[in-house]
Amino acid sequence: MADYEDDRMNEYDDEEEYGQNDRDDEGSRKKKGKGRAEEDDEDQEEGNPGRYGGDDDEEEEEEEEEEEDVGPKGAKRRKHRHKRSAVSRFIDLEAEVSDEDEEEEEEDDDAGAFIDTFDDDDAAEDISRRHHAMLDSRRQFEEEDKSPEQIARDLSKRYGGRAALRYTGDLNDVPQRLLMPSVHDPSLWQVRVKAGRERDIIFSLMRKSIDMEYTAHPLSILSAFQRDSLPGMIYVEARSAKQVQQAVQGLVGVYISRGIQLVPIEEMASLLTIKKQEQTVQEGTWVRIKRGKYAGDLAQVMDVTENGEDVGLRFVPRIDLTPRDENAMDVTKKRKKAIVVPGSARPPQKLFNFEEVTKIWGRKSVHHKRGNIYIFQNDTYRDGFIEKDFKISALGLEDVNPTLDEISQFMRKQEGMEQVVDLSIIAEASKKAAIGVLQPGDHIEVFEGEQTGVHGIVEEINGDIVTITAMGTDIEGQKVDLQARSVKKRFKPGDHVKVMTGQNAGETGLVFSVTDTVVTFISDMTMQEVSVFPKDLREAAEVGSSTNTVGNYELHDLVQLDAQTVGVIFKTERDSFRVLDQNGQVRLVQPHQISMRRDSSRAIATDSEGHELRVNDSVKEVDGEARKGRVLHTHQSFFAFLHNRDITENGGVFVTRARSLVSQAPKSNTAFKAPAADLSKMNPALAQPGGGMVGSGAMGRGPRDRHIGLTVTVVKGPNKGYVGRIKDTNGNIARVELLSGNKVISIDKEKLRKMLPDGKLESLDHRAPWGAPPGGYPSSMGPPSGGRTPFGGSSKTPNPYAVGDGRTPAWNAASRTPNPYADNSGKTPAWNASSRTPNPYADSGKTPAWSASSRTPNPYAQSGSGGGGGSGWGGATPGRNQTWGGATPGRSAWGNDADTWGSWNSAPTPAAQTPGFGMGQTPADSAPTPGAMQTPAAVWGSGGGYSSAATPGVSSGYPQTPGPSSDDPAAPSLEKDWLFDSAIMPYHHRIKVEVEGTKSAHYYGGEFEGRRGRITAGTKVPAGFEQTCTVLFEIGDARSFPTRFLAPVHPTETQEEILVAGGTHKGKIMVVRERDDDLFTVSTKEMPGQVWEIRKEYLVSLYDEQL
Amino acid sequence: MATIPAQARSKQLRACLLCSIIQVPADFRKNGCPNCEEILQLKGNPERIANCTTTFFEGVISVIDPDSSWVARWQRTSKYARGMYAVRVKGRIPEDIEADLENRGIRYRQRDQTDQD
Repeated sequence: MADYEDDRMNEYDDEEEYGQNDRDDEGSRKKKGKGRAEEDDEDQEEGNPGRYGGDDDEEEEEEEEEEEDVGPKGAKRRKHRHKRSAVSRFIDLEAEVSDEDEEEEEEDDDAGAFIDTFDDDDAAEDISRRHHAMLDSRRQFEEEDKSPEQIARDLSKRYGGRAALRYTGDLNDVPQRLLMPSVHDPSLWQVRVKAGRERDIIFSLMRKSIDMEYTAHPLSILSAFQRDSLPGMIYVEARSAKQVQQAVQGLVGVYISRGIQLVPIEEMASLLTIKKQEQTVQEGTWVRIKRGKYAGDLAQVMDVTENGEDVGLRFVPRIDLTPRDENAMDVTKKRKKAIVVPGSARPPQKLFNFEEVTKIWGRKSVHHKRGNIYIFQNDTYRDGFIEKDFKISALGLEDVNPTLDEISQFMRKQEGMEQVVDLSIIAEASKKAAIGVLQPGDHIEVFEGEQTGVHGIVEEINGDIVTITAMGTDIEGQKVDLQARSVKKRFKPGDHVKVMTGQNAGETGLVFSVTDTVVTFISDMTMQEVSVFPKDLREAAEVGSSTNTVGNYELHDLVQLDAQTVGVIFKTERDSFRVLDQNGQVRLVQPHQISMRRDSSRAIATDSEGHELRVNDSVKEVDGEARKGRVLHTHQSFFAFLHNRDITENGGVFVTRARSLVSQAPKSNTAFKAPAADLSKMNPALAQPGGGMVGSGAMGRGPRDRHIGLTVTVVKGPNKGYVGRIKDTNGNIARVELLSGNKVISIDKEKLRKMLPDGKLESLDHRAPWGAPPGGYPSSMGPPSGGRTPFGGSSKTPNPYAVGDGRTPAWNAASRTPNPYADNSGKTPAWNASSRTPNPYADSGKTPAWSASSRTPNPYAQSGSGGGGGSGWGGATPGRNQTWGGATPGRSAWGNDADTWGSWNSAPTPAAQTPGFGMGQTPADSAPTPGAMQTPAAVWGSGGGYSSAATPGVSSGYPQTPGPSSDDPAAPSLEKDWLFDSAIMPYHHRIKVEVEGTKSAHYYGGEFEGRRGRITAGTKVPAGFEQTCTVLFEIGDARSFPTRFLAPVHPTETQEEILVAGGTHKGKIMVVRERDDDLFTVSTKEMPGQVWEIRKEYLVSLYDEQL
Repeated sequence: MATIPAQARSKQLRACLLCSIIQVPADFRKNGCPNCEEILQLKGNPERIANCTTTFFEGVISVIDPDSSWVARWQRTSKYARGMYAVRVKGRIPEDIEADLENRGIRYRQRDQTDQD
């Protein structure tokens, strides 16, 4: 029917007088009638199908009835209606003249016949009138549709000739390929513009072309466009570059200087057809809200509007249940809004609870609708969730990665009701994301495509293709290539797994249930059920959580929570701890909430029989539940933290009173059984192994960070350049008092550099590198027994403490006081280790930082001033003086004490240095000795404490070889990831590697053990995943292999070409000139004269280049 | 000649679902769609404007000479008024309009480049 609109318009044009009567109802009706009549005729002429004229009368009456409801009518109109009218259904279009009416009616009928669908209102209406039975529902529908038509008709009437052009669907039938550009078409030119201004420039070009249209120099460009996916560019359609230049001349943000490039004709169409990755939302999918109060929150799509702009979401509300002021509830909405200013803490996620909300906001604030639906502050809450419409642009649709926790929040409410949340949706996403997490050896299953259901073990991964060895089907044993995205990891109950990512990362356990989408296992650590997605899991042999360390604290550490409370960490989570405090309460603690770690390794408590109770004793409760356990820590000689693997609660850690414990084994030191009041124990002078109660003034102080007091410069962040002094540290955060501004800031230690007196900067943990000069190195490797004998050369003498005897006279002098070290050295193997610590510093001729102890205030300074002590040392071995004193000033403090017992007391923290040291009843005693801060204290603590000694060079090599067994502490070994060191990577294709350790790991039953080959491909994978690379074996094929089984092949022959894989010459290719056991003399090919000595461990054989 | 929106980056800009012309809602209300007014009847009808135009479009073309421009021909807007057009418009016109087009024998092509034949 729209066909005749055009014609009608033309007529209106002619009938000028009607146009003038626009405002006059009467006139317009007339016009309407007339116009329509004529159109009608036309239609007939065009041979339109038949009409329904015959039914007119019947219809009329029905219509009259209807008319009464429709609207106000004048008397005239009423009268007319009695005569006859189909027209009357056009409330405001009624014509006065009956013959016109007739015509109009005919027209209507006509139209009805010719347009057979319901959206021709008039016709449909006619039909509906005739079928009275169907009337109601149908008519309603039609009348809704009718209104725009009607309005349009009014409008076209009113604005006569100005009505719209006829819509023809221009070119819609032409296939797109016929529209491809040809050489005759104008060209497209790419113009560089300022990113972000593309659209403005396109608009400017339009306006400019309009403005210039009738000037002497109109723009001759034809069009210009911009695509969001092509930032920084616009495309202008013109016949020549000059025209483009002329057009864009003078526009802000156009970089004409960067040239105007012609777009090749074949690329023109693609510029207009490229599209961004389509982001579609469907009902049920998960999205994240990008902005506002709910930023980052997960939401579920409830519905999507037809045009896809708005999305109805359902999510957990954040209702402010603690409005700032009481007025908040009755002030204007504006004020309320102001309460939720960005930056203010946003309320926590919590399901809507009618009682809670009304209690705080008042009953009136919540409007209750039927069922479980409430309206509060203009938001709808259903079943506790908020339902709200969002623009799709305000939502994040990619990388939503909902966690199981978040989803279970949605599930919770729906138990018992239909399961609206479909885990498969997330699982779907997670399957797709699984490509990056597959590794050789994974057990996988195919979930889509032809091979659905096939499962097997991943052999190799090559881009998107995984090769698996099929299992369990008729193609058992065959290798199958599959798309990585159509496989998922497969687990079965009984598998031992490890969580690779997410909140539970590092957790291991035994799988006991596997559903389609979720694997549930019992954690080895907590004995609790953990549910995760298969993609986050790996099969793993290792037991225990690898995340035992968070910050500087680790599992089973005794930590100080506040002045009154200490606790033991019994579970580490990704970035928090579970701590059992002395009162038996479990707390969730963030690392920053811990003020420090307590060391109770030398703390002693008394058990129920008066025996000493020490860490690691195996004890039993005498009362209560008679729990057994191993003592982890004692606190204030009163509380004992015990650990028992068999207890599932709190990871097996529990707290009890020391007095209620009894040793399970006969005590070795019963001989020392003595009343607690044995005064001899109180006498430091009489201190002996197992004795010593010290009323230490320093009680409660933890190991002091040796960085405290350092003068540092901030090298990163907003305070960069400021100089200050470290006042305090906690973990890797230091509180620095700035010299300027008198301000104390908390800052990551990473961002600090030690400032030397000469103004040079140095990393806080800077030490001389382990690898002393090659050549000189081995000689430092001598057995420690040598003590300070000339053997090692002055600078390299191992610690004298290691051996009590054979000391220099200076030492003997020291024997006046019981030497705690001597006591200790026998007992704690760690001590031996520690005795070696100074070794690296022995070279500390190189590390001025250390020897310049005067820079660090207090204890060291004092030790420095205690020159007598130093000289005492000097007596021992001439070289010592510099090395010792410099390396560990704490030591020289000892020397000091050796000399003059009296001056000892004046030492900064004398209590610490009491003989209690050996047996320390106070947990703190070890701490305050200045020396302790340097290194030894850390060593005494435990092997683990070692790393806190913060001597990077040492700690890397050390912990692996604790105790006396590490005869060769400086034995170099390649770093774990040496293969992927940037210096090594370029030589991958030449490096000779050997498979090692597969037998013990049962990797392919050790089939590959001992094979040699070169690496053909390998890239570094993110932490947490197993590093693999492709190895081309000398015998057999290339295959991907875990790098942990790949060991370097060390050279055996002279003249062999080798790669230095570690040490100072890392990454250089050299030739073996000479060998002496493990020490090789090497030089570069070019300069045979210049030789270095490098240990075997650092050298890797190479294949010939061409091979 | 369509009305050129004053603000290029206005969030209000709406593209016609049928011809992809870009205007501000006020212009749609005042003058309707310069190309499809006859069928969409947008003038003075905010509800209709909401249904038949969308803010969900990408890429802006200034069509300066529709008749000889290849871009306009490719976009099937070469018979339309000069003005700003969107490259892609997401969404479909309401069903009744679609049926209307069908009745006229006009093939409806979505403006989101899904049917490229």
